Amino acid sequence: MTMNKYSIINTHVHNVDGIAKVTGRATYTFDVKLPGMLYGKILRSPHPHAKILSFDYSKALQLPGVMEVVTGKDTLGVKQGIWRRFQDLCDEQMLTVEKVRYIGEPVAAVAGLTEEIAEQALDLIDVEYEVLPAVFEPLDAIKKEAPEIHEGFERNINVTRHIEWGDVDAAFEEADYIREDWFRVGGQAHMCMETRAAVSSYSPDGKLTVYSSTQAPYYMQGLLAGVLGLKEGNIRVISHYVGGGFGGKFELDGAIFCSAVLSMKLHRPVKIVFSREEDFTATKRRTPMSYYVRTGVKKDGTFCAREAKVFTNGGAYTGMGATALYLTGFFHSFPYRWKGYRYDGYRVYTNTLPSTSMRGFGAPQAMFCSEQQIEWIAADLGLDPIEIRRKNAHYPGYEVPGQATIVSCGIDQCFDVIQKWIKDKGKLPKNRAIGISAAGFMSGGIFNWFDTPYSFSSAVVTINYDGTVELYVGAQDIGQGSNTTMAIICAETLGVKVEDIKVHSGDTEHCPADLGAWGSRQTLMAGNAVKMAAEDAKKQLLEVAYAQSGFNIVYDLDIKNRWVHAIDRPERGYDYADLVKKAIRGKDGQRIMGRGYYTPHRKGMISPAYSYMLQGVEVEIDKETGKIKLIDSLTAHDCGQPINRLGLIGQLEGAFSMAAGYGYLEYMPFEDGKLMNPNLVDYKVIRATEMPEVSVAEIDTYEPEGPYGAKEAGEGLTNPTAAAIGNAIFHSLGVQMKECPIRPEMIVNALKEKEAKEREKK
Amino acid sequence: MEKRLLKLNVNGQEYELYINPKTLLVEAIRDHIGLTGTKRACETVSCGACTVMIDDMAVKSCSLLAVQAEGRHVRTVEGLETNGKLAPLQKSFLDHGSYQCGFCTPGMLMTSEALLRENPAPTREEIREGIEGNICRCTGYNSIVRAVEAVAKGNYKGESS
Amino acid sequence: MSEPVKCPVCGKQAKTGSSIDCARHMFGTGDKKHRAWVEAQGLSFIDLLIEQATTPGNRSYVVLAEMIEKTQDKLKNSEEA
Repeated sequence: MTMNKYSIINTHVHNVDGIAKVTGRATYTFDVKLPGMLYGKILRSPHPHAKILSFDYSKALQLPGVMEVVTGKDTLGVKQGIWRRFQDLCDEQMLTVEKVRYIGEPVAAVAGLTEEIAEQALDLIDVEYEVLPAVFEPLDAIKKEAPEIHEGFERNINVTRHIEWGDVDAAFEEADYIREDWFRVGGQAHMCMETRAAVSSYSPDGKLTVYSSTQAPYYMQGLLAGVLGLKEGNIRVISHYVGGGFGGKFELDGAIFCSAVLSMKLHRPVKIVFSREEDFTATKRRTPMSYYVRTGVKKDGTFCAREAKVFTNGGAYTGMGATALYLTGFFHSFPYRWKGYRYDGYRVYTNTLPSTSMRGFGAPQAMFCSEQQIEWIAADLGLDPIEIRRKNAHYPGYEVPGQATIVSCGIDQCFDVIQKWIKDKGKLPKNRAIGISAAGFMSGGIFNWFDTPYSFSSAVVTINYDGTVELYVGAQDIGQGSNTTMAIICAETLGVKVEDIKVHSGDTEHCPADLGAWGSRQTLMAGNAVKMAAEDAKKQLLEVAYAQSGFNIVYDLDIKNRWVHAIDRPERGYDYADLVKKAIRGKDGQRIMGRGYYTPHRKGMISPAYSYMLQGVEVEIDKETGKIKLIDSLTAHDCGQPINRLGLIGQLEGAFSMAAGYGYLEYMPFEDGKLMNPNLVDYKVIRATEMPEVSVAEIDTYEPEGPYGAKEAGEGLTNPTAAAIGNAIFHSLGVQMKECPIRPEMIVNALKEKEAKEREKK
Repeated sequence: MEKRLLKLNVNGQEYELYINPKTLLVEAIRDHIGLTGTKRACETVSCGACTVMIDDMAVKSCSLLAVQAEGRHVRTVEGLETNGKLAPLQKSFLDHGSYQCGFCTPGMLMTSEALLRENPAPTREEIREGIEGNICRCTGYNSIVRAVEAVAKGNYKGESS
Repeated sequence: MSEPVKCPVCGKQAKTGSSIDCARHMFGTGDKKHRAWVEAQGLSFIDLLIEQATTPGNRSYVVLAEMIEKTQDKLKNSEEA
């Protein structure tokens, strides 16, 4: 492992929000209380598909303490969506006007003096519905006779995506062995500890302030402007502390919209917090998919061709489902070279909970199918599972035809690490097996479907007279530690200590626009903006230092650990704070200000940089009950230069817990469009007793596009685990699990089927 | 229902509340006393975000009425520090990065504090069992276990508040 | 029995020349011409596609393959006539 050449980067740095979080001082939207604040509750549709005929809320308005009731008719009725550049995909009125398309859809909202009163008022609102036939599965929704969910979308097909390269048919012809499989991957709930929450406050001067538990304050600002008919500049979104996001909180939701509408009517703050049940039933979820995969390889394991046909259950609205549809097809090819590759994806509307982005963004689904099928192919051909992968893996400089240029890529070293880990484990106890899965992921997307005119990320650095630094970023900390990562990059670049940096984020009034925390973009994109801003500020300081120094032109000055010095003569120098004082005087008393920004240009179809990994999971399976116990895991991981060391470990362990949940725990059963387990008793998330020790081995690579060589870490890590668990089950029991989450009864049934087949043969 | 006077001792401080007897302890703490460190993340007594200590025992404060805590010593996350000096567990959480979004953290700290009072030298398994009732969606628990273990090992001796 | 099957739309011979491989090819290209041909035979391209993706077994390919075989016979007959 190379010596750490940095003072702060990749060292043990406390999270900069730590004191607030461990002392209960951190104020989440959940905690916000404003003078005169009212409480809002949302009335939701009990039907999966129905026309709204009429409302009668006169009784509700008469209940003492009820201040207002609003319905879709009290809004502009704007159909919004986050894909602003594609108007036909902007299909969601946050308070629907004419019809409901899923159980739980908001139809009215009430504001009352207390939460209890608002809740009581809901029961006093009468809604007359004309129930329409509903469909819940893509297979039924595309039938000719199926009810039309959105006008103009024939056969309820919402979006289609096609990715193809090479001559696929010719590539299949070259294959010695072809295998095809059908998979069904489930949805998943984000299940953030802080449910959706918002406090909106509209004042008579036409300004709206919204406290929101959001991943993207700038997106909220833009979207709210569109649906409320306000100017972006008259909307302030505040999100200092966010209790988790995981991809479910960068679109508009009912809490934000309804609280804003109510507040605009009442000119008083209105707070809406979703109950846990609402958070399960009435927010968007990970996209469930059906996957057909056909793969052709040579008998020596060289990959020739792959063809995938995917249908995703879009639910009632588009959300971020169009991006998930594309990314699942793209990452389904990762991290391998295919001579011919073809992906057809179809997103179908149904009358169920809309599906959208969730950590991994379609890639965990893709890997569950791809990495298991590759394991089965290796077994069918008698090839080593690691060597078959290594043979076909990406390498630095590889071009995914028409899609991406891979610059840094450490996947090959990942194979070595896991190979050694497996070898060192030796013979495993009975009922235990190791499963592996490779993966790769994007470091932010190049797409601008939001149609922003702003740089994707921006940053401003201001240096005070005492040398303390104000860092303004639009990057949003949702727990992943972006405030700390940005502070680290700023401090390293400027040459000061992390404690000198005060990070300002989560307030559109004071912070620059930034696309927010999704798609693993912030370390690379906001990090680049911060680096540029800090370099700008440092340059202004050093100009003064050079002028003073009288050094010969060949000497370079630098600032490191608050020490201004010539690089060749580090022992001679002076305190950075003295330089700051002089520089401010030199600028007529103005603070030193640096600006930075970043937008990817000409970086392919998806991302400027990709992380890579190979994960091994040791699993113990009880044949009788089908119960799974996770024993151990190692992930060989290439994220370029790690920046925030504590943050990285946290991301690995956290991603593992969520990805494992997707693999074997977090089942979301629906019946006629109704979620059957909308609570934390029946919806199983992993607990401390079920979590194994997990380790990471960082592979040393350098990504030129990232700040100090950094790439994403934390979302890619959710991609491999479900597949790795499936592969462990395959090696232990010889059964192929084609559906996830893998529940105990599925394993028991698979074993029974296997035994029955073996008896037949005899 | 008629409101009644309730005296609650929270973090060593006596509070006088005038509340509806149906009020849950978590509501009394957050909304009536105004200590918002304690969170709520479910309605089914399943997640542990609302955990406080009552007479040194970890209790989910959504699972009992405020009136049931009368005459007992309630401790919330705000009561862990003394005059701005952090408790050993809090310092250990900082050192180990045992939080990310931080929403489960107050409950996690109180459960851990109660655990260590009952069992000052727990094994890793015992720590995991001790925090089983607290859900964390961000960290995967392992950094929390490491933090509690470090305090149990005595790494923060002499720093108790 | 079989002469290799040629795609009725673009004339290509897919892999082994079987009707199933021709069906795979038709689904694979998915372009307007091929879809239009499928629809013109009274089949629904999208119905077959979704069944192929969501139901194990290759019923969709079989259905399309049979249709392709029928048209091969028609072609042959018209040649002979």
